[in-house]
Amino acid sequence: MLSFILRRVAALALTLCVTAAVIFIVLEILPGDPAAVMMGVNATPENVAAIRAEYGLDRPAVERFLTWIGGLLTGDLGLSYTYRVPISSLIAERAQVTLPLAAMAVMLSASIGIPLGTLAAAKANTRTDSLVMGISQLGLAVPNFWFGILLVLLFAVTLGWFPAGGFPGWGAGVLAGIKTLILPAVALALPQSAILARLTRSAVLEALQEDFVRTARAKGLSWPATLRKHVLRNALVPVVTILGLQFSVLVAGAIIIENVFSLPGLGRLMFQSIAQHDIIVVKDLVVLFAALVVFMNFIVDVAYGIIDPRLRRT
Amino acid sequence: MTKKSLPFLAFAALIAAAPGALAQNRDAAVLCMTLEPPILDPTAGAAQAIKEVTYNNVFETLVSIDSASKLQPRLAENWVLAPDNVTYTFKLKSGVKFHDGAEFTSADVKFSFERAVAPNSKNAQKASFTPIETITTPDPLTVVIKLKQPTARFLEGIAIGDASIVSEKSAATNETRPVGTGGYRYVDWRRGDRLIYTRNEAYWGRKPAIKDVSYRFIADAQAQFAAIQAGDCDAITNFGAYESVDALRKNPALKVMVGSTEGETMLAINNAKAPFNDLRVRRALAHAIDRKAVIEGAMNGVGVPIGSHFSPAHPAYVDLTGAVPYDPAKAKALLREAGFPNGFSTTLRLPPPPYARRSGEVIAAMLGEVGIKVSIEPVEFPQWLERVFRNKEYDLSIIAHTEPLDVGNYARTDYYWGYNNADFQAMNTRANAEMDEAKRFQIYRDMQKKILDDQVNVFLFMLPKTTVAKKDLEGMWQNWPIPVSPASELSWK
Amino acid sequence: MSGPETIAAAPSFRRSPWRHPSLIIGGIIVALIVTAALVSLVWTPHPPTKLNIPSRLQGPSATFWLGTDHFGRDVFSMLMVGARNSLAVGIVAVSIGAVFGVLLGTASAARSGSWLDEAIMRTADFTFAFPAVLSAVMITALAGPGVVNAIIAIGIYNIPIFARLTRSGALQVWSRDYVMAARAAGKTAAQITMRHVIPNIAGLIIVQATIQFATAILAEAGLSYLGLGTQPPNPSWGRMLFEAQTTMQRQPLLAIFPGLTIVVAVLGCNLLGDGLRDVLDPRVNRSRS
Repeated sequence: MLSFILRRVAALALTLCVTAAVIFIVLEILPGDPAAVMMGVNATPENVAAIRAEYGLDRPAVERFLTWIGGLLTGDLGLSYTYRVPISSLIAERAQVTLPLAAMAVMLSASIGIPLGTLAAAKANTRTDSLVMGISQLGLAVPNFWFGILLVLLFAVTLGWFPAGGFPGWGAGVLAGIKTLILPAVALALPQSAILARLTRSAVLEALQEDFVRTARAKGLSWPATLRKHVLRNALVPVVTILGLQFSVLVAGAIIIENVFSLPGLGRLMFQSIAQHDIIVVKDLVVLFAALVVFMNFIVDVAYGIIDPRLRRT
Repeated sequence: MTKKSLPFLAFAALIAAAPGALAQNRDAAVLCMTLEPPILDPTAGAAQAIKEVTYNNVFETLVSIDSASKLQPRLAENWVLAPDNVTYTFKLKSGVKFHDGAEFTSADVKFSFERAVAPNSKNAQKASFTPIETITTPDPLTVVIKLKQPTARFLEGIAIGDASIVSEKSAATNETRPVGTGGYRYVDWRRGDRLIYTRNEAYWGRKPAIKDVSYRFIADAQAQFAAIQAGDCDAITNFGAYESVDALRKNPALKVMVGSTEGETMLAINNAKAPFNDLRVRRALAHAIDRKAVIEGAMNGVGVPIGSHFSPAHPAYVDLTGAVPYDPAKAKALLREAGFPNGFSTTLRLPPPPYARRSGEVIAAMLGEVGIKVSIEPVEFPQWLERVFRNKEYDLSIIAHTEPLDVGNYARTDYYWGYNNADFQAMNTRANAEMDEAKRFQIYRDMQKKILDDQVNVFLFMLPKTTVAKKDLEGMWQNWPIPVSPASELSWK
Repeated sequence: MSGPETIAAAPSFRRSPWRHPSLIIGGIIVALIVTAALVSLVWTPHPPTKLNIPSRLQGPSATFWLGTDHFGRDVFSMLMVGARNSLAVGIVAVSIGAVFGVLLGTASAARSGSWLDEAIMRTADFTFAFPAVLSAVMITALAGPGVVNAIIAIGIYNIPIFARLTRSGALQVWSRDYVMAARAAGKTAAQITMRHVIPNIAGLIIVQATIQFATAILAEAGLSYLGLGTQPPNPSWGRMLFEAQTTMQRQPLLAIFPGLTIVVAVLGCNLLGDGLRDVLDPRVNRSRS
């Protein structure tokens, strides 16, 4: 077991190192001089040289890479070219939008998807089942950004129940903040809940085939109690795993959804930084993102290894 | 749920939205704009947004430009130009303090201008200060600036945000914590969302009417629309979704003002590159483009057509819009004459603003009608600067030149248009040195005609400024002689 | 990997395609879209890229069945050509994913437990961490926006999905008796892969390809909506939605039709995939992103 975890940790560290190197190499060859970008159309060569010197862009690539990695390890993410503030504070600020948004979307999709999936499995091959599966098919097919546009049209522009976009900051009150995140979270959660409903249905159906369920039923345990005590507990393992793994899909979705709702989150920061050629921010964000996803995979792997020793081999 | 709500949505969207019914807080205003400034020091970056949020708010200039494009004394009480035409003497306002309590004196002016031309300066308008030979400060309230040669537009050059007066003590930190002399002081900046100011209670001049002002940054025009309809914004400084303007006009709580900017929008041509080094080809492009249809299709009909690189708002403007009319047959004939009976293929590199992307699509289709196959290549602004503007790697592009009176750019031999004409350069030198206004304006007229004669670019329209504001918010600039939105001029009716 | 989703099909669901409504409905929808795309090669009601400024932003009429956009182009014609665009992107991107994924997956399974297997699977884990939108945003930053870059991004995203599926399917085949026998008889790994593994997992791959096709359509729409995918003047469903946003107040239907088209197309592919799976192999594990 220990050696299994150690191997996984080593793989994790290696993956992160390779990621950082690849990202650095890839982004360093981007066309466009960030210093020139900051000074715009009227920049003189001296202007640009001044900025290059200030940001150390004139030093050799290897030195810049080592400085960057060193900074990453010590928590110093560097200074944004465009905003000229520490990136760690920039990311911390934006995470205050994206993380609650992602959390709300996960909770929403779980609270819609899991009950619906369980219901469909419990009533497998009935009309209820077909209806739930039909709705989930539809949910899978709706592009989340389009759903977002429709939500804005209906609930913000026409009915005025929710703000159309933007984020007032948590300083304006927790309720006001949550209110602005509801529509984007719904848009983000829709396809997720459809996926979850389908997964839950299959997981529950599979668990229903297990011997212990039949035994429990044979012993006279009521149907809801069987479902609660035996079926769901077993079915939830794959479902929760998927919830963890959907994280990367959620962040990718956030890039689009934060654009639809003009939310100052991490996805938008990524999009803007690329447009403004703020390479340092892009590098940090990608590494951060990769680290999170790889870490999620690691947790899931280890959890699986603990649950099922047969999986420790690979 | 999606299924059910669709027909309803289609119907509901047609109904004008109800305006926000909340009572207006008369001590606060939220101004929404498209682009967020990267930093807040107008003397250290090129982005227009920096100037838009700081000009006459946090920072002030010796002389400022008002909404009617007139020069007004600001930190300078008055000024005199000596008969030698090169010596300006500025008398400064007394009792002016920076937000950190430091006294404003002639030393700050000297420091600011010398910093702007220093070798390591990040000032984007260095050229405004290069005519300066010496700056002397005989006393704390007097500045004497001696120029190298007579410079007709020197005062205009120091009236822009890039010439803001900063204090030596705070200059280094102005990028993130700006300290100026203006009527508003910096409170907080939530990057990606909004910038927050509060009134400077120790302001030397007339106190701003509204205490708390914030600038909110909403990149997407549709989100701006929704925000002002919902009452989240009190004004939008320049609204970009032209098709939505009519819906805003129907909202009784809002007013819409369409004004002008100094942004000459054009199809920029790489004059140095074949086949565009042939005047007949450039003229053919001009004949192939229906300016009216471009304005209709790309700008929803808003935008004043121009025939040359000059603002119709300027007294020296000559109307040349009819000089090269829309005439596809003539365009084809010219192409044939130039050796392209079957047209040719070319690329059109488009920067991100919607005016460029949309005009580009219309123009590509129009050029296609006369046989020029245009492939559209959208680029982000950094790539546009690098490839089109700096390295001149382009055939055609679309861009608005927003600086006021910038026809002198055609005299820059290294400029991205690749236009190099000795006659024009001579005219420009004469205009810059000509202190007599009437004579200078005559030269400007000749310059406008000259660049059209050479068809350096195809001139399309002036970029409009569409201001949307709540009915009882007064003082928004209708026109943009310079693109700024001073909150100090706002008040609630 | 989005996990094992075992479909516990009711025993009655077997063999006859006519017993599977999702196969029928999905098939019809996909056939309609393919037909529209093919017809658009030779005919559309109006030229899809021809600007017609005087008749811009019109509602549906006898002339313009679904109205016109901000340049006066016919929406119905654009949707037809957009179908061609979406199908092309889907086919190329999924092919990239399937070809490379199957190659890597079969190699991985043939050398199961080796360093090669480990390297391929770790790389797959890593690549999978970058959803199509994210890698497309990065590729765009590098090489500029465009449909080719969008295809590459979606294709790369698909490789690990096919690689994992192929590997798990191939491992099962490898453990079968006749494969063991073939190995004992001295057949090489490549021969076994060609002779036994690939024919056995073909159904699995086809089903997955149909479903990935649907996600590719969604991804392309999302990228084009962000301005990173198909470029003008080529019509694309996602781009049409992006453009409709600025004209939504005057012509809300412009934001409705392309969205509905995407929903129908994706739904059709998913239904077809589900139906095919039921018919081809009702017991396989499948993964879906």
